[in-house]
Amino acid sequence: MLFGYIGNLALFLSLIFNVFLIFSSIKIIKNNSLVNLKKINFLNNSVFYLLLISFLILIYCFTTSDFSNVAVYKNSHTEKPLIYKISGAWGNHEGSMVLFILILSFFSFIFFRSKVSEQLRFYTIFFQAILISIFLIFLIFTSNPFDQIDPKPLQGLGLNPILQDPLLAIHPPFLYFGYVGFSLVFSFTLAGLVTNSFDKSWSQYANFWIILPWSLLTIGIGLGSFWAYYELGWGGYWFWDPVENASLMPWLSATALIHSNIVTLKKDKLHSWTALLAIFTFIMSLLGTFLVRSGILNSVHAFANDPYRGVYILSMILLITFFSLAIFIIKNPKKALNQEHFFLQKDNFILINNYFLIFFLSVVLVGTVYPIILDAVSGRSISVGPVYYHTILAPFLFIFLFFMSHGPLLSWNKQDKFLQLKNIKIFLPISVVTLLIIIFWFFDQKDITLILGLLFSIYLIISVIFDLISQKALKLNFGRLTSHLGFGILIFSIFVNAYLSKEINTSMKVGDEIKIDEFTIKFSSINKNKKDNYEEVFGNFLVSNKDEKVELSPSIRKYNQPAQITSEVSIKSNLIADYYFAINLSEFEKDKIMVRFYFKPLMFWIWFSIILIALGGFYQSLRFKNEQKI
Amino acid sequence: MNKKYKILILGATTVIIFILFLKVLNTDKVYQPNQMVNKKIPEIILEDFNNKNIKIDQHIFSQKDFVLINIWASWCVPCLIEHPFLMSLKNKNKIDIIGINYKDETTNAQNFLKKYGNPYSRIGVDKKGEVTIQLGAYGVPETYVLKKGLIIFKHIGPINEDIVNKILELKK
Repeated sequence: MLFGYIGNLALFLSLIFNVFLIFSSIKIIKNNSLVNLKKINFLNNSVFYLLLISFLILIYCFTTSDFSNVAVYKNSHTEKPLIYKISGAWGNHEGSMVLFILILSFFSFIFFRSKVSEQLRFYTIFFQAILISIFLIFLIFTSNPFDQIDPKPLQGLGLNPILQDPLLAIHPPFLYFGYVGFSLVFSFTLAGLVTNSFDKSWSQYANFWIILPWSLLTIGIGLGSFWAYYELGWGGYWFWDPVENASLMPWLSATALIHSNIVTLKKDKLHSWTALLAIFTFIMSLLGTFLVRSGILNSVHAFANDPYRGVYILSMILLITFFSLAIFIIKNPKKALNQEHFFLQKDNFILINNYFLIFFLSVVLVGTVYPIILDAVSGRSISVGPVYYHTILAPFLFIFLFFMSHGPLLSWNKQDKFLQLKNIKIFLPISVVTLLIIIFWFFDQKDITLILGLLFSIYLIISVIFDLISQKALKLNFGRLTSHLGFGILIFSIFVNAYLSKEINTSMKVGDEIKIDEFTIKFSSINKNKKDNYEEVFGNFLVSNKDEKVELSPSIRKYNQPAQITSEVSIKSNLIADYYFAINLSEFEKDKIMVRFYFKPLMFWIWFSIILIALGGFYQSLRFKNEQKI
Repeated sequence: MNKKYKILILGATTVIIFILFLKVLNTDKVYQPNQMVNKKIPEIILEDFNNKNIKIDQHIFSQKDFVLINIWASWCVPCLIEHPFLMSLKNKNKIDIIGINYKDETTNAQNFLKKYGNPYSRIGVDKKGEVTIQLGAYGVPETYVLKKGLIIFKHIGPINEDIVNKILELKK
């Protein structure tokens, strides 16, 4: 109870300090007295520490199961393991908003310690403080995490069992560090625009603040997908679900931003475009927050279903959008100088792929938002599923991969047609031969989309390897090479996985042996196992195809207290494929068990490539950080 | 183009987007209480309250001519308020009520029924609250009226005398 009050007080104080910070900043701007930032620094630090205190208190309330707190009562339970009590603190709407604001403030906090010029630092903190205030008001007045109930309930309602997973304890923080991390670039962009200092040196500093959240977001998306695959048991890793799309949109936009910012840095051009992308990336993050938090979408992520909250989130996001874009229009950064320009030039290829990324983003945006709006306006519902995304995205992805293969090999300043022609002459035959070997040895699929997808991803991988071998400045390019290699492997694995996955649904009894496609499934035996709090029935299956034999033992658990039946999947994973098996009790045929089997090729490589992509990002951000000596 | 015009266009676009999404928020189908009315009951699977190995699916609702679905939980205070009405619907009016036990502890639920009586002919267990989402329910308690698998009426919150009369009228 007492702690709840302290937490609440800390929240209020942080709002007051924050408002104070904004007013002091306005005073400084008015008097043009940017000499001493001590006061701003003090206020900025205080806001961060106060928010940290209130977040820690919230975690404390969750770990001690203080049910006088509404958020704890609704989302926790005394018998929950400690880790889920802790992660329960951000596994609900209120707590996750506290984390959201804490991260906003955390980025302000560390940014103040960077070596950026005083003026830019001051304005960035100013804009960041406005963002913090907007979200704090929302938090305190519409979704306060320290609301009390009296009398205190004896037991909590528990955390949604789907959310009780160790992966899910770390998935939201990663996503938030990514999403919210883009706020700093956003504020930094506005600061650059307002002070007319959006130039090469701005880009130099921005690099770190773009790539770090991007890498974290990559991990966050990867974790979400990993969890969906292993825990939800839907037999897939990406469903083009609106919530997944919401995290993909800022990622696409930020990927474009990373590249356009490099052009701004190296060639002192594309200023407007870079600024616009920086603003847009954060707006995409906010849109994601809106979609997930407003209750528009019905999913495990949608905690808030209070329409009033939805209107508030919508208003604040649109206000932020309007004002940031208005600043952009008024303070449009300087135009590029006239430079000699050739088609086969690095910046040109980067720009082309930027447009492709924005196109991909638009496809995802339309696919996500359009059905929702159409439904509301006309009452008609359309279904936008994987088919929509795959048919529209695939052909353009091939061209994208081609430009991605050659872009890095081009020069910034001169064009060398001969060299590129030579490169194509090397890459193309190697790719085609590799592709033919793969197709003839491993499978006999003749689908044109699959073949093109494989060809261009192999092409990219070959180009990266070629680049790596002939690299003269490995340290400088290592991050880029790693990420690009990861992307090539990712696309390759996705295509193979999409076209060669198998799913078998049937019912079997002990001793049965069935043959479907190239798989033979034998239900060899059943054994039971009694544990303290549950009884477990294992089905032992032998799955074989022409080159492999795999034993799988999925089970059904019957828990006594609380009484619950869970199905435990059995996955055997190797470098080539995952064999994924789940069983369920059948209501209709008493002597049989319902059997679900998936064959999922190259799953390992999908996860591995996501790690590569993120690692490249982390490496790059560290390098930028050292360059700047932040 | 003049900067003023650009900002004007930006402002207008923002307002249009605001209005569109406001409409989305207000016509939110997912949490709209009546969305399931006049629809067939969706495919659902529940565990039987008395025997975890038996599964209940939507067929037990669609086979019956007239049946109520009542979503309840032992921890839900309004459920206790509506409980006498459910008992009288069962005993006096011979109406078949199937319960869905929502996010509850089995022992607590059993004690609840022992203490206040069991108005349900059968109970399905929805531990995770997933089936309740599929049914488009807002929370507990909530009552659906079904005729041959078609949802003809739905009430959010505890039922009272008016609702009881309405249900009896629907049965005719």
